Amino acid sequence: MKGLIFDIKEFAVHDGEGIRTTVFLKGCPLRCVWCHNPEGLSPKRELYLKQNGCLGCGLCRKPCDHPECQEIGRCLHICPKNLVSAAGVEWEAEALAEKLLKHKSFSNSMGGGITLSGGEPLLQADFCVELLTLLKGQVHTAIETSGYANAETFQKVVTLCDFVYMDVKLADAEQHKTYTGVDNKIILENAAWLKQSGIRHTFRTPLILNITDTEENLNAIKTIVGDSTWEKLSYNPLAGAKYASVGRIYGFLNNKMEWYN
Amino acid sequence: MIDNLYNYYVVNRLHRNVRISVKEVNTEYSTLNLSPEERMTRRFEYLTSLETPRIHPLEQIVLTRNVSNLPDVLTEDEWAEIKKDHYIHELGYVSNLSPDYASTISLGLLKVRETADAYQVRMIDAIINLCDRYKAEAEKMGRADVVEVLSQVPRYPARNFREALQFFRILHFSLWLEGDYHNTVGRFDQYMYPYFQKDMEAGVYTRETALELVEDFFLSFNKDSDLYVGVQQGDNGQSMVLGGIDKDGNDCFNLLSELCLEASRNLKLIDPKINLRVSKKTPLSIYEKGTELTKVGLGFPQYSNDDVVIKGLERLGYSYEDAVNYVVAACWEFIIPGVGNDIANIGAVNFPAVVDKVIRENINKDFDTLIANLKKEITAECDKICESIHDVWFVPSPFMDLLRGGKKYNNFGIHGSGIASAADALAAVKKFVYDEQKITPERLIQALDENFTNDPELLHLLRFEAPKMGTGSDEADEMGGLLLSSFADALDGKTNCMGGVWRAGTGTAMYYLWHARDLGATADGRLAGEPFGTNFSPSLFAQIPGPVTDIESFTANDLTRNMNGGPLTLEFSASIFQSQESIQKVATLIKYFVERGGHQLQLNAVNLDAMKEAQANPELYRQLVVRIWGWSAYFVELDKDFQDHVMARQEYSV
Repeated sequence: MKGLIFDIKEFAVHDGEGIRTTVFLKGCPLRCVWCHNPEGLSPKRELYLKQNGCLGCGLCRKPCDHPECQEIGRCLHICPKNLVSAAGVEWEAEALAEKLLKHKSFSNSMGGGITLSGGEPLLQADFCVELLTLLKGQVHTAIETSGYANAETFQKVVTLCDFVYMDVKLADAEQHKTYTGVDNKIILENAAWLKQSGIRHTFRTPLILNITDTEENLNAIKTIVGDSTWEKLSYNPLAGAKYASVGRIYGFLNNKMEWYN
Repeated sequence: MIDNLYNYYVVNRLHRNVRISVKEVNTEYSTLNLSPEERMTRRFEYLTSLETPRIHPLEQIVLTRNVSNLPDVLTEDEWAEIKKDHYIHELGYVSNLSPDYASTISLGLLKVRETADAYQVRMIDAIINLCDRYKAEAEKMGRADVVEVLSQVPRYPARNFREALQFFRILHFSLWLEGDYHNTVGRFDQYMYPYFQKDMEAGVYTRETALELVEDFFLSFNKDSDLYVGVQQGDNGQSMVLGGIDKDGNDCFNLLSELCLEASRNLKLIDPKINLRVSKKTPLSIYEKGTELTKVGLGFPQYSNDDVVIKGLERLGYSYEDAVNYVVAACWEFIIPGVGNDIANIGAVNFPAVVDKVIRENINKDFDTLIANLKKEITAECDKICESIHDVWFVPSPFMDLLRGGKKYNNFGIHGSGIASAADALAAVKKFVYDEQKITPERLIQALDENFTNDPELLHLLRFEAPKMGTGSDEADEMGGLLLSSFADALDGKTNCMGGVWRAGTGTAMYYLWHARDLGATADGRLAGEPFGTNFSPSLFAQIPGPVTDIESFTANDLTRNMNGGPLTLEFSASIFQSQESIQKVATLIKYFVERGGHQLQLNAVNLDAMKEAQANPELYRQLVVRIWGWSAYFVELDKDFQDHVMARQEYSV
């Protein structure tokens, strides 16, 4: 089957053990106000317009007859600076597995592997299952997930992974809803299951000033993660740069940049 | 202590206040009808006599040049006369050699003098005289340590590490003053090791005090290097080679190698330019040490792979014993210390121009014919270069000859510029014109002639959607392999005017700009005048998925027949090196390159923001270092087109 991928990043040095290739699956049910991958939010292919260097020549606005350009509304095959592209490429699981396994010997000898990230990979769970099954036994696999999926979906995907990175962003249900748009009940249930599953895993909390990094929240998460490994990730305040490229507005750090200066 | 010296020589440059410039000598020499040897000797005597000893109160290694210019020994008319019958390489003075410092350091100049010719004897006497004046100055300053060292060297053999380093400085200084240039350092950690080891074992130094001495010595390469200008400031060829195997195959990386990496890392100076020889046997820990140096942003160490280079040099006819001892010339050309007399940069093939010509002439024929004619054209281009070089003549260099055990190898090297751009153009034509028939020959040629002005869609297709080297495209890599082997075939079996062979390379030197300037638009979607990538690297607009694919592409072909040198360059955002873990991952990547059979690799930690700032406010960024094509330089001292190219290279971030 097909999956929608918005980036494949080679030599990702911060997405797990060894040297890894990270596959970013498009679409996410959460709307974290600090999200740094806005092109991963929508589950649909969309226009990605790099802002820097545009000549204003207007070539991309002229009608064209490429089928792949029609739903995007711009011609993808004419920009002299290559600034006009579509976020979201459809990949057959088999073709993607083949591409990823090209670096198999490298990944294996260097203690690395493949990481599925997003977006939220679990939103394309069946695709993940097919892809992970094809990769199984050949290369080390990991997943980075919010854990926001029903128990059955969560379990069938993560049991195919050699390692799981799962976010626990906010312990309080109300706060979680305020800042990510969804309830954390199923996330916490999945976390509880993961802890006793025997699958190697690490919980992660992005440190967002005055939101997730409060003493109260961190203490509560500490209780939730228990004996499991827990990483706290610092936030990159420059993450907002990509919002305009997908026609979204980055409201989070407006007037709050001094927090990070 | 080293900070004090650094501020004096590098930041405030106070030593430059006492420089003197020298008047012309060639007319006088010409009127006296002196032989070239006599002129070189006389100039050397004259210049050494003008030197005034200056010793910084804290420095251990002394000798700093005051004479700011080297007046030519021949007049313009004499040069014109010589050029009628001879090929003159670059400036006409010997360059890009790796002298045998070690023998002289172990013998002392008085011993060497016994077998020297009359000119060399006079030069030895002149340099000994200058050193005696330095000794007198040291006595005056109460520097008993310097007096002791200069009482021994250069007259007598060095007895310890410090004397050996001081002796090296005297010899290196003399070569520059003779007028030789791109004077390389060679396998420093090997020939200096016996002195170092003896002192370490005797407890003369701790690790810290030894490092301090190495730093003091490293600083000596930067005291007058601004006077050794190549194509650009910084292009001075002070290449040092560390590590590598010996003739029994043992890895020779030692504590001195480690201290050299550390000294370079601490000082952050563009000289000496560090090269690290590695092989399948090299443990990850050495790559990690190298990466720690890469992290500071000097653009070195540059790595070369013993497994490939030694084999390749043997294929060219170098004996195993010599090949195993290889070093690099100013940038990356592989040369043999002591006995090598190669001219490793005598010419360059402009591959994108050759491919463009062949495409235009054959686009209406079938693809096999196009390829057959391409091979013929590459052969014709090589023949043309080879035939244009005959009766090579150099101004004699008596002092350099003292440091050479003969001229065993007289091979000429030819750079292969723009190989990736040329391979991309071929792959694009094969795919779109021949295989898919998506573009008609007429449309392609018209677009090239019009610099794509009226066909933006074709420009986009060729530039951003066509197969490119470095992107994991088998088609492009295959074309790259075809160019490499055709280049090697074209030079195979040819003898040069000095009896040596010709060597095909993967370097561009400055031709990535020079060759590109006059070339119109090409079928890889390159616009008229746009530069190529440096050396054996992807084009500037190839959409590279990452460094792993880049490495796999540039190691896809056998490189042992293209052994004149020229590295793949990977640019990393400086932010990637922030943790010990990421250093280890970069090191792993280099190890992978070596295991894949890559021949030479250069990694840069680049800070684009700093470069932008430096262009706007150069005075605030005087110490910002960047790697150019085979050497590192201070960014603000470069011409703008060299600056812009560095900024345009694709970098990998996290």
